Amino acid sequence: MATAAAVVVAQELEPEQASLWSDAWRRLKRNRLALVASVYLALLVVVALVALVWTPYRMSAIGLAPTYSGPSAAHLLGVDELGRDILSRLMVGAQISLVVGVGTQLLVLAVGVPLGLIAGYYKGYLDTVLSFLINVFYGIPDVLLAMILVFILGPSLTNIIVAIVATRWMDMARLMRGQALSLREREFVEAGRAAGAKPLKMLFGHILPNALGPIIVQATFGIPSAILFEAFLSFLGVGVQPPTPSWGSMANEGVQAIQYAPHMVLAPSVALSLTLMAFNFLGDGLRDALDPRSRR
Amino acid sequence: MLIGFTVLAVSSIVFLLIHRLPGDALFSEKLRGHAYAELLHHYGLDQPLYTQYWNFVVGVVTRGDLGESLVNRGLKITPLVIRETAISAQVGGVALIFTVGLGIVLGVFAAIRQNTWIDYLLTTTSVIGYSMPNFVIAALLILVFGVWLQNVTQGTFFYQLGGWKGDIGQLWLPAFALGFPYASIVARLTRASMLEVIRQDYVRTARAKGLQESVILVRHALRNALIPVITILGPLVIGIITGSVVIENFFGIPGLGKEFAQSILNRDYAIVIGVFTMYAAMVGVANLLVDLAYVFIDPRIRYG
Repeated sequence: MATAAAVVVAQELEPEQASLWSDAWRRLKRNRLALVASVYLALLVVVALVALVWTPYRMSAIGLAPTYSGPSAAHLLGVDELGRDILSRLMVGAQISLVVGVGTQLLVLAVGVPLGLIAGYYKGYLDTVLSFLINVFYGIPDVLLAMILVFILGPSLTNIIVAIVATRWMDMARLMRGQALSLREREFVEAGRAAGAKPLKMLFGHILPNALGPIIVQATFGIPSAILFEAFLSFLGVGVQPPTPSWGSMANEGVQAIQYAPHMVLAPSVALSLTLMAFNFLGDGLRDALDPRSRR
Repeated sequence: MLIGFTVLAVSSIVFLLIHRLPGDALFSEKLRGHAYAELLHHYGLDQPLYTQYWNFVVGVVTRGDLGESLVNRGLKITPLVIRETAISAQVGGVALIFTVGLGIVLGVFAAIRQNTWIDYLLTTTSVIGYSMPNFVIAALLILVFGVWLQNVTQGTFFYQLGGWKGDIGQLWLPAFALGFPYASIVARLTRASMLEVIRQDYVRTARAKGLQESVILVRHALRNALIPVITILGPLVIGIITGSVVIENFFGIPGLGKEFAQSILNRDYAIVIGVFTMYAAMVGVANLLVDLAYVFIDPRIRYG
């Protein structure tokens, strides 16, 4: 769940192993926005974990207060159209968002990295086929295809993740392919081949580690886009099904009551925007830290 | 040619996927036995899958016929989709103009004022911009203009059903919500490529010739700076199309996006397939236009 935090921790833990990482960590520390973003995301992870065992009220308990009533001491963010506590639902929604965001990226990594690696390293017809597929997929409006997929598979959390991966795997594959294409021409790869390294060792031992920086950055940017994706689906009613709250469906419920209970739409909207923003700022920071050449 | 192929491939995949689903929109408690069989026959659903598929493909290719709605019997999909496309294209077109225009202007501004507070303000705003889902922007806009400042706009931004043309007073809110996240991306990109271009020698030469700064920026620098921006026009159009599904539902605009979401929820597979085919065609055309725009902006690029 805590990829972003884990990345930071991983960089902290192995400063001697590779100077790139300690360098990157030093640069990241200087980027205030990225630091604030990581603190926010760490808090969000804590909130999501806490929500597993404790929320102020049960997230599906109805009639806790007069329906649509605004923020008060008992209900910090007010209650919704069924009198459910919005804060509790927001906390559970954080779980959904994080699971979708991180889960999707893990799957995208698992699909995109090997495909891109093999296509880029071996070139030939494998590469032609993959490139063609990538181009076709880029031509399809992703959210629409995902909607159809979720609709066909049935709306569960796993299926939503699968649908998002099916429409977004090519970001990672394309990146990895490009990296592999350029890395395979470098001397150290030739040296490795001359020394008789096995193909697997070559791909995962030499090429992959050298492309890790851009991959991490891409994955960090992929998380908010997956969260946004899920919010879209839930907003349209084809996402996570009630009573499980998702920030997208909460926003949709809030929109219905925007005239008299603006807190209902504001709470999930602000949570969603802050989270996406934090991931994007962290991604920016990581990119500047891991690839100093791209700076300005 | 390639567009036609992609459109056909995409709609075929969707067709086959959807037709593997159990259950259908026709089934109901009231329809049993003969009536149900007759209805299946009316839609050709009693034939084997490959015949259905063949009929669908032939219908699309030769007559542009996307079939008939399963829920509203007798409703032809092709005219429906075309009418809705016109409405969606209006909203999307305004959003696109707005996106590109605002994005380029802000990007150029940030670039020529690099590292001043204007630059920082604009770059930070753009991250906020593309971090906000369009329905959040739409909700905030409605909250501010529709609820808190009711008297200012008098709630006229809700799109009137049945109308072909929305005036700008109705269009600007949805268009803004639709375009703003992408305007931020265009602004970032313009800024980055503008910074690169204005450091090049030929721009210095232009300055040395004593040209006006505005002429240098617009005629010399911007034209080259726009090439990377055009590259993302394709994804941008796809983004606006995707975003329109949410925004049209939000504002009650009777366009293609609203139809798509409604049909999915209504299980009207025929319309889902038809609308999706239309989307694939639009994306194909958009990509073609982007390729042509390259040639327009950069004469060095030529095709065959």
